Amino acid sequence: MKKKMMSMMLALGLLASALAGCGGGGNSQSASQNSANQNAQSQSAAQGGETGADPGVTSGETKRLVWGDTTFNAENGEPDINPHRDSSGWACIRYGVGETLFRFSDAMEIEPWLAQSYENVDELTWKITLRDDVAFTSGRPMDGEAVKECLEDLVAEHERAAGDLQIAEITAEGQTVTIRTEEPVPALINFLADPYGCIIDMQAGVTEDGIVSGTGPYRAVSLVTDTSLELVKNENYWNGEPKIDEITVRTITDGDTLTMALQSGEIDAAYGMPYASYPLFENDNYTFTGCATSRVFFGAMNFESEITSDPAVRKAIAMGIDKESFVETLLDGNGYPAAGVYPDSFTFGGDAVTTETYDPEGAAEILEEAGWVDTDGDGIREKDGQPLTLRWLTYPSRQELPLLAEAAQATLGAIGFDVQINNTADHNRIRTDTGAWDIYFSAMVTAPTGDPEYFFAYHCLDSSSNNDGHYHSDRLEELAGQMTQTFDADRRGELAVEMQQVILDDNAYVFCSHLRMSMISKSSVAGLAAHPCDYYEITADLDIADSSAR
Amino acid sequence: MRRNAGSSAAAGIARKRKKNHTKLRLIIFGILVLALLFTAVFAEHICPYDPNRQDLANALQAPSLAHPFGTDRYGRDMLSRVIAGSQTSIFSALALVAIISVGGTVIGVSCGYFGGIPDTVVMRISDICLAFPGLVFAMAIAAVLNGGVRNAVLALAVVSWPKYSRIARSQTLAVRQAEYISAARLAGDSPFQVIFRHILPNILGPVLVTAMLDIGTMMMEIAGLSFLGLGAQPPTAEWGSMMSGGRSMLQTYPWVVLTPGLAIFVSVALFNLLGDTVRDSMDSGNA
Amino acid sequence: MKKYVIRRLLLLIPVLLGATFLSFAMMSIAGSDVVVQRAEASGVTLSPEVLAAERAKLGLDQPFLVQYFRWLGEFLTGDLGTSYVSGNDVFSTFLSKLPATLLLTGTSVLLTVVISVPLGILSAVKQNRLTDYLIRICSFIGNSLPNFFVALVLMYVFSIHFPVFPVISNGLSLQSAALPTLTLAIAMSAKYLRQVRAAVLEELNKEYVTGAKARGVRFSVTLWKSVLRACLVTILTLLALSIGSLLGGTAIVESIFMWDGVGKLAVDAINMRDYPMIQAYVVWMALIYVVINLITDLSYRILDPRIRLGGDKT
Repeated sequence: MKKKMMSMMLALGLLASALAGCGGGGNSQSASQNSANQNAQSQSAAQGGETGADPGVTSGETKRLVWGDTTFNAENGEPDINPHRDSSGWACIRYGVGETLFRFSDAMEIEPWLAQSYENVDELTWKITLRDDVAFTSGRPMDGEAVKECLEDLVAEHERAAGDLQIAEITAEGQTVTIRTEEPVPALINFLADPYGCIIDMQAGVTEDGIVSGTGPYRAVSLVTDTSLELVKNENYWNGEPKIDEITVRTITDGDTLTMALQSGEIDAAYGMPYASYPLFENDNYTFTGCATSRVFFGAMNFESEITSDPAVRKAIAMGIDKESFVETLLDGNGYPAAGVYPDSFTFGGDAVTTETYDPEGAAEILEEAGWVDTDGDGIREKDGQPLTLRWLTYPSRQELPLLAEAAQATLGAIGFDVQINNTADHNRIRTDTGAWDIYFSAMVTAPTGDPEYFFAYHCLDSSSNNDGHYHSDRLEELAGQMTQTFDADRRGELAVEMQQVILDDNAYVFCSHLRMSMISKSSVAGLAAHPCDYYEITADLDIADSSAR
Repeated sequence: MRRNAGSSAAAGIARKRKKNHTKLRLIIFGILVLALLFTAVFAEHICPYDPNRQDLANALQAPSLAHPFGTDRYGRDMLSRVIAGSQTSIFSALALVAIISVGGTVIGVSCGYFGGIPDTVVMRISDICLAFPGLVFAMAIAAVLNGGVRNAVLALAVVSWPKYSRIARSQTLAVRQAEYISAARLAGDSPFQVIFRHILPNILGPVLVTAMLDIGTMMMEIAGLSFLGLGAQPPTAEWGSMMSGGRSMLQTYPWVVLTPGLAIFVSVALFNLLGDTVRDSMDSGNA
Repeated sequence: MKKYVIRRLLLLIPVLLGATFLSFAMMSIAGSDVVVQRAEASGVTLSPEVLAAERAKLGLDQPFLVQYFRWLGEFLTGDLGTSYVSGNDVFSTFLSKLPATLLLTGTSVLLTVVISVPLGILSAVKQNRLTDYLIRICSFIGNSLPNFFVALVLMYVFSIHFPVFPVISNGLSLQSAALPTLTLAIAMSAKYLRQVRAAVLEELNKEYVTGAKARGVRFSVTLWKSVLRACLVTILTLLALSIGSLLGGTAIVESIFMWDGVGKLAVDAINMRDYPMIQAYVVWMALIYVVINLITDLSYRILDPRIRLGGDKT
């Protein structure tokens, strides 16, 4: 019996030593992390898609960087870097492979990039002149013909791009491209700055893995969907010399794993870190860069509902949500309280409009005046026997939305609302049923191309596909009609301000906060700057300090 | 081995003593489990604070005298939420485990005992259930029946019973041919008598152990469906969701994750210890 | 015997048909589709025309029965289709994820057996003594902790505090597999050592153990020769169940460790309503269960000749 026990212990011991054996291997690996690290380099060079556990090390003349990203995955519409497929253009532009004809400045104004200039010949015709010093990583010079081929493939493959651009015909001549649209498209230049507008060499084509040939500072060499992307420096980059030789983009879908990977040093920079992890990196070893984006967390009122069709109730809701505390405490300062549709960085955003501020007493008074009174003393107001129940529909895939729902549940509860949260992944089906909800909170990028028309067209008009609450305003329809005819950017901005004010005065929508997008990197990483449009991450400026400096 | 030492007389004494110990343990664990259930039933009255009252100014406070379990990110008292959570978590998990263990065992035993075409058909259905992604099923339930804890229990019950029926069936197959079963059959016992008197007591051990262990697992499974709107919706406190909701705070504000985890551990341990003791007492009763 | 095996394998057909049909039906009840899910993930709103065009492209505008039979037709010719999400061939995508799942299944089942069988026996033999209580409390802890919690703690300890293993998996290596294996094995061992304990106790209380003792047979001989043999049925059932579910992938552990297996693939596919990928997964699961159950039933018979095989009546 004892002997048997001994043999069991022996077996356990063997197991332990086997594990320790693995551990030994691990040690040598992590030891190499601190040393010059030839191993890892040869390993990654040999394996392509797989990387060593030791990024960001510069040895000899080769500089390497490992980028961890939660969004680079098929579920997010980014299975590869082919801009003509789904949302893969985001990966193409973010990781420095592709570039667009026009880009956004820090103030979200449009400026030329691969293009030199454009001319709006008439309502339907745009003449774009291209730079003449740009070549694809395939070696082919970027000329009018190449851009024409690329855009033609884009509208053939990408439904949304085709709908946006309305292209009737493209003609190329030397370094100029002339685009004729089927209908007036005032925001055409903005649309061309969308990530789907990355200019790629269609002759080089798209490999089976989804690799394309762009004009950016880095060239993709291998790609495994949902796993990693290997980039090398584009030696012939037209706009300065990229500073890093090899970059690996690792898909890390889990936020906590991303946290630990940056802590353990397996990655050098991270995109998509959970807010709760921020305190771990708020020290000298790491650098943050962030800015407001046009992704807004907002609620749409249901005008078919007996509750939210009452203007007093809508006003009370707008006054009963504590946006400041939500941003400060629950988002840990990683957001900006919103007034209207667009953040401060837009000329027509931020304080350009006015709306209700948090005022629970005022909200209670308004409800009281409108006849919503708590008669039975249960803390919930009633009117004509109907309790003030607010069915709050939202979904969990954006971490901020459930937080906002639960915070508002408490503040609105204090003024006599009975907020019933339905937090479900099935929201897209439920929101089309006006009998099932009163307010629908979602997260949307309100100006993906920097142009204001998009949000109203999709959310607030009679013709809008996402106007699930059936909001209608004559004034708004009229202004929207004007906007579709207006080509002047400043005038469009003015219209945008007016239109925002209309929906805010109706309290048809409540805008709670704009997302602050942040990237965290080791302090050895330089040249990383967050951009309000969230498109530009890996650029020619990105650099990593020498290992001796670490 | 010492338990069975000596002559048969000594064995008898040892057995008696063991029986007494079992009785004592039965009482102790029984009382502890009752205390747990009592907490769950009267949760609202035991909480030191309102478990749903938010106080953002006091968010994420470390454990202190005022808040022994600290506060969560809404500034709610964690101790109160853990106590309030016992209601949802314990009762839904118990209900679920009861449904699947009783249902699954009945199906498994019948299949194992009677065999034939019904056995094949039921086992194929259970294959389909096991092969079928439970998430797909839960989504359909959520769409048809809307959210709520009750429907989460239903969705999990439909996909989880085959485990029990498989265990019960294999155990039944193992004892079906045993001499005492044949003897009982020859003595004219009806199939139901044979099943209830002879087979069930024999397979109860593994089923009970599986069931008790499942309580903790099922708490997490119920929480895992909350993203479908199945499961507890805010502000209802529920242990599994409290743990998964706080997971990214493990390094920064560990009490948010650890306190509901502790609660799950305590209840799992108590139910298991009680289950073991019940089984022990049955063994000594049978022996 | 051969006849029996063939008959059991033929049962694969109804299981396959049932499971694939059911999943198609359920997904259509569940509402939403890949087009809507994709739009939501990117946060960009699409017009109904664009949505309709994308649906038509994928054939999602057809009634679900038409979609099912179209899928079935292609499946019968050996074509699993292309993914709605990535556009890649479903079969080769699925195949590329299998090695990771197989490796993790192997290592974690092995570790589970190595941990749970000896500890379970020890716990039973020392019933209600300190050793037993200690082992059982460890098992309760292992059983109360959700996988993600164990994974994060292990990661913190072995990757950050003592940098032994990498946080993110580094291809298919034992070193990368160590933490996911340990995570899975802790949870499974916590369960199985209790089952083993219960089964051993069950046997120890049987007459023959006392009888053997009375006849002067050494206890250890009884334990190894008879008791363990009798417990094998329980252990085998458990192993069959756990191998089955492990081969189906473990989405949470896979996504935490970036372990590129079928579990994450399946959950992503379900979340995105990627029908061809879901169906491939359902086919795989049906295959696993039929084959593993067959093997289990056969081994019951080998272990315990008293058990008659269902269809083997002579």
